[in-house]
Amino acid sequence: MYNSRTHRRPGQRTAWKKFPGRRVAAVKVEIEKEIQQSAEAASRVLERIFASRKVLAINLVSSPGSGKTTLIETMIDRLDGRKRIAVVEGDIETEIDAERIRKHGVQVHQITTRSACHIPPALLVKALDHIDLDAADLLVVENVGNLVCPAEVPLGEDVRVVALSVTEGDEKPLKYPLIFKPSRILVITKTDLLPFVKFSTEAVKAAARSVNPAIEIFETSAVTGEGLAALVDRIEALHAEKVR
Amino acid sequence: MHELGIATEIVAAAVSEAQKHGAVKITTVTIRVGVLRGIVPESVRMFFEYAVKGTLAEGAALEIEEEPVLVSCRDCGDTPASGLTVSCPACGRDGVAVKGGDSLRIVSIDIE
Repeated sequence: MYNSRTHRRPGQRTAWKKFPGRRVAAVKVEIEKEIQQSAEAASRVLERIFASRKVLAINLVSSPGSGKTTLIETMIDRLDGRKRIAVVEGDIETEIDAERIRKHGVQVHQITTRSACHIPPALLVKALDHIDLDAADLLVVENVGNLVCPAEVPLGEDVRVVALSVTEGDEKPLKYPLIFKPSRILVITKTDLLPFVKFSTEAVKAAARSVNPAIEIFETSAVTGEGLAALVDRIEALHAEKVR
Repeated sequence: MHELGIATEIVAAAVSEAQKHGAVKITTVTIRVGVLRGIVPESVRMFFEYAVKGTLAEGAALEIEEEPVLVSCRDCGDTPASGLTVSCPACGRDGVAVKGGDSLRIVSIDIE
């Protein structure tokens, strides 16, 4: 039984309750402790790993089907001979994406989260056992396709890149502000489809900037190649900044 | 899915603190949730009831305090708001900064 008379600590408030035959103390204990500290601690571990290995870590997020894997494939091809890329793929199930990336001749490891809707930092720490970071300049982590949960789970990344395809609608930054707010770069994908969809590039830019005034925006198409050179140059510059 | 993990962590933190104090029972767990965390209180409550089963916190009440966003305006100071905004809720001026609203904390437990 808790004895409030002898064990009472500062910050506790005591309220006596009458119980038949004896008095039992109901005590309020102040805790004030952040939840999900384990995830934040793991994220800081990742930050230190990326700093010590001089690797620029990119956390690539988007809804399913907006073209994250295709974007990585085009980056690998365009950075060939300039920067060494390693990739960690995150999906709920299957190794399909890792197989696609492997064909480009880079280091890749697949995380299958089973049921988790985002990559937990602890799983990324384990995945790095399979990647030689000393042989990489960039680590691209393709998160689980989801605009909600990955927003709240940092992976120690240097840069968060959010991709949004023109078939998804230009109001998405307002509907999912939490994922756009901490993102450094917005990549608008599939611009070759613009003639066929009701999507205003100006509206999406205004929406993204209202949530995150500093966000850098690139309009790209893997089909026509539009915007990819500028995006890849920017990524290369961010890596140079980090290792300088 | 997300809320289940959160509920489990809340219960684990509450039980570990209660054990430090030699408690036999947790009657109330109080948490503070920022409006920006996108956490659905009903959902946390449902998973909380599931997560407390067989622990010191079985049958405990879950109190949820909501933490608003504070919109900082040059003219009006800090005004609480229920979400992200680009203009001051009091005077409508653009170019304000927002802070807070991102807590997810266990505040206190009531134990016996």
